[in-house]
This record gives sequence, C-alpha cells and structure tokens, in this order.
Amino acid sequence: MRQQGRIARWAGFAVVLIWSLVPIYWALKTSLETEADARAQNYVPFHPTLSNYTTLLTGSGDLPGQIRRATLNIVIECGCATIVTVVLATLAAYAFARMEFRGRQVLFYAVLATMAFPAYTTLIPLYRIMSDFQLVNTYTGIVLVYVSGFLPLATWVLHNYFANMPVSLEEAALVDGASRLQVLRRIVLPLAMPGVISVALITFLFAWAQFLFPLVLSTDSSTQPLTVVIAALQGRHVVPSTLLNAAGVLAIAVPALLALAFNRYIVNGLLAGSNR
Amino acid sequence: MKAAPAAGSPEGSRGHAAKSLPYLLVTPLAVFIIGLALVPAAFTIIESFYRANPLDPPTRFDGLGNFRRLFANNAVLTSMGNTAVYVAVGVVLSTVLGIFFAVVLRRPFRGRGILIAVLILPWALPGVVEGILWTGIYDPSSGLLNGVLSSLHLASHGSVLLGDNRWLTIILIELVQVWQITPLSALLVLAAMQLMPQELFQAAAIDGCGAWQSFWRITLPLARPGIAVAVVQALIATLNVFDQPYVLNGAATTGSSVTEQTYFISFQNLDFGGGYALSLLITLITMVVSLIVVRAVYRRVDY
Repeated sequence: MRQQGRIARWAGFAVVLIWSLVPIYWALKTSLETEADARAQNYVPFHPTLSNYTTLLTGSGDLPGQIRRATLNIVIECGCATIVTVVLATLAAYAFARMEFRGRQVLFYAVLATMAFPAYTTLIPLYRIMSDFQLVNTYTGIVLVYVSGFLPLATWVLHNYFANMPVSLEEAALVDGASRLQVLRRIVLPLAMPGVISVALITFLFAWAQFLFPLVLSTDSSTQPLTVVIAALQGRHVVPSTLLNAAGVLAIAVPALLALAFNRYIVNGLLAGSNR
Repeated sequence: MKAAPAAGSPEGSRGHAAKSLPYLLVTPLAVFIIGLALVPAAFTIIESFYRANPLDPPTRFDGLGNFRRLFANNAVLTSMGNTAVYVAVGVVLSTVLGIFFAVVLRRPFRGRGILIAVLILPWALPGVVEGILWTGIYDPSSGLLNGVLSSLHLASHGSVLLGDNRWLTIILIELVQVWQITPLSALLVLAAMQLMPQELFQAAAIDGCGAWQSFWRITLPLARPGIAVAVVQALIATLNVFDQPYVLNGAATTGSSVTEQTYFISFQNLDFGGGYALSLLITLITMVVSLIVVRAVYRRVDY
C-alpha cells in the first residue's frame, strides 16, 4: 500500500515534468540541429551546433537584423510598460488603501469593472484612438495600451497588499511629522517590496506575451516586438524550422528564466490577482 | 470587493497640499482607466450600432445591421461553432489537469519548489511562441507526435495532423492553449487545498475512508472556490483564443476562432462596425457565462 502510494507520487511528478518541459525541449533540440538533421526524426540532436543562434545574433541580412530589432523593441516596450504600471499602481493603491477622498469608491469600482471585461473588447477603439493621435508604430502607443491594460490588476493587487499591512508604524511616523509621501517611500514601500516585485514580474510577463495588440498597433518593423516578428516568420516557408525554433528559444529565454528564478513571487502575485 | 476604509488619516489640519495629495496620486490611474478603458468600451458598445467603415464613409447609424450581417456570415457562424469546441475542450482539460497537478503537489516534499517553478513555466511564455514550439511537435514529417504515434503503429509516418480534419485541428490547437492556462488552474486549486485542515483527512482516515473516497468526498467539494476561479479564468482565455489558432493554422480558416474573425473583419476588411459588434458579442457572452459558472460552482467554504 505504501509502496503503491510512492510509485503513484513519482509517476505524478514525472507527468508534471514531461508535460511542462517536453515542448520546450523539442524546440531547443530543433534549434541546435542543422536543417538536414531536423528533417530526420531524431529525439536528440546528433550533431549539436550553435550555428542557428550565431546566425540570428551576429549574422547580416534581413532576418537576423529583424530579429535583433524586434528583441530590442520587446525589451523597451515591456520595460517601460512595467515601470510606468508599477509606479502609477503603487501611488493609486496607496491612496485607495490609506486615504479618504471624494470619488474614491466610484473610481475603485471603475478599476474593478475594467478587470471584468476581456482585453480584446477595446482592441478596435484603442487602435483608432492611437491612429487619431498618430501613435501607431510608436513605442508610446504600445506602452500606453499596455499600461492601460495592466494598471487595474496591478492596482488591485497592491491595494490588497497595503490594506493588509498594519497601520501603526505609519501613524507613528505621521504623528512625528513625516509627510504622506515620506511614509510611503521610507516605511510602506520597503515593507511592501515582495508585493511590488510580484506585480512588476507579472506585468512584465504579461507585456512580453502580448501579440494581438502590438500586431495591430505596429505595422512595420520599427516597433514590432519579437512575438509579432516570429509569428510573421512562421507563415514564410523560406525560413527553416531550425532558425525559427532558435528565434522561439530566444523569445522564451527571458520569461522562462524569470519564471524559474522568481517563481515564488509570481505564484503569490497570481493568487492575489485571481481572487476577487 | 470593497475598498477597505482608509485608516490613519490625521492630516486634516495639514492644509491644502495634504488634502489634494490623494487626488494627485490617483489622477494618472483615473486618466488611464477613463481614457483608455471606459471610453473605448463605450465606443465598442455605441459603434456596434453604426456602419463604420473607412472604405464606405460616412459613419452612420445602422441599427442592428452589423449584427444581422454577422449572423448571415458563414465564416462567423463557423467560428462560433469552433470557439464553442475550443471552450469545451479547453475548460474541461485545463480543469481536470489542474486538479490532478494540484493533488500531485499538495503535500510538502523536497524539491516541491522546483516542481512548482517548472509547472508555471508554460504560463509565463507568450502564446504565439508556444504555437511555434508546438508546430514542431505537430509537424507531419519531423514532429514528435507523429514520431511517437508511428513508432506505436497508431499512425502512418508523415500523416498530416493540423488543418486536415476540422475537429482534430481544433483539439490539437486547443491543447496548446491548455498547456498555457493549466498552470494557473493548478495553482488556484492548490491554494484552495492548502487551506483545508489536515485533521479533516485524519478523521476521515480513522473512519475508514480510503484515499480515493476522501478525494471525492472531502478534497473536491472543499476545493470548489478554487475550482470556480480556475474554470472562470479558463473560460475567459478560451472564449477569446487568438494567438494559438493564428500561429498554428496561419491563413487556413479551418478552426478559426471568433476573435480571429473579429481581427479579419476589422483589420483586413476594415469593417470596424462589424468588428465592434462581434467584440461586443464575445464580451457579453464571456461575462454572462462567467457569472453563471461562479453561481453554479462557487460555494463559500468556512472551516
């Protein structure tokens, strides 16, 4: 009986590992092969080569240039969107959690309401607004749309975080003559750091995964992120699968490493964000 | 759901600057919410009753014209059927797998942290790139799936998996999305399981309740709040599925989803009115179905 339970548990662990890792392994394997080897059905790369990666990272020509530009774009767009979202959400969440002001309830409900409708509800109007303001094919346009999409969730998670923190320290500091902003910077933020990190990570990963919004908001390679460029390559049969998979591995490297390194923060943030 | 009452606000006497501070703090948020969420949402609702097409100006009131055209459009109707299958397959598979993974990871053991990190990996990756990874697996000649199936003599070598049969195509594409959304389902169910008091299971074991029985009688009912949230997140994701079919199926219309149709109608045919109407429909369906699920599955659990 005990023995059986042990075997069942190990089988369970194996299923989790196989399920999560096999598709990633397969792409990694293909990206390390030559075109000829990839056509044969191998389960391991027989003659592993980094040539696909060196082509993408240092090669000249259209495709490598496009991939490098798209990598730069996705880093800029996700980085800016994350910074702006976290700063604005922190300020607003602190006000919601600790201050009385007119319109507080209404605005808070508006934040919750925007989380209730699916993101693509506003796809077409956002495109038309950005197009009216000449913000199509600009970093600003993409970052504004990302921030508007992620700000409600970030504010909600941070509000809950602040609301669950004891107020006694803050009150003492206020009585001692510290200003609200000093209290926020010196007392609240250091204590709330785990929550802020969670929100930053989740926002960054959401931004990195975006596809339909940047597909619509960037029509040329000047601002197209890696996701859009890779999807476009997939349709072109001239791009060998080995190169395509190398590009895919480059696109998942950053989020995969973040997820593995900071999984605790991500799990906490996800759970805090899902329970409304 | 309510904002907690603000605590510790002795700044009444601190003058004008302190009084205007909260407004200063929330103004950027308010601008984003109103300007780039509420106003666009209102646009979607209003303009779905207008003929809005840059190729056929001017924008003019058209009553239910957009909706009538949508329901007369075979591609849209087919995509609705497809999406229903995406939702059914995706919600069932991600929930069942999520519960299974949660059970596997439930008790503490050495290396659990690593296993959870590996579990959430597919959630963290972009859907389009996951589509690329799985294209390799589904490839007729060099793919892993065909390799395994043909070595088990279940399929002939080189048989086409994607784009041939409508239902098989949809199921295979949805499997890629299930790969992405299952981690969150597992975490939500796992979190609900962590709240269950261990004494309950000990008492059940003393009463002669086997592992299987205590799973069905205790674990599953008590995990209902977590399962409800998992089902809702899976519903929202699958009803709006776009990245996976777009990448895995390309221009082929076999298995296209409603969100793909919204994209084609608005950004290829430039029929914005039709696009507005279709997004409004998806939004309404998403909200209504989520509400029904929450009502049906969610039960408050008190220990």
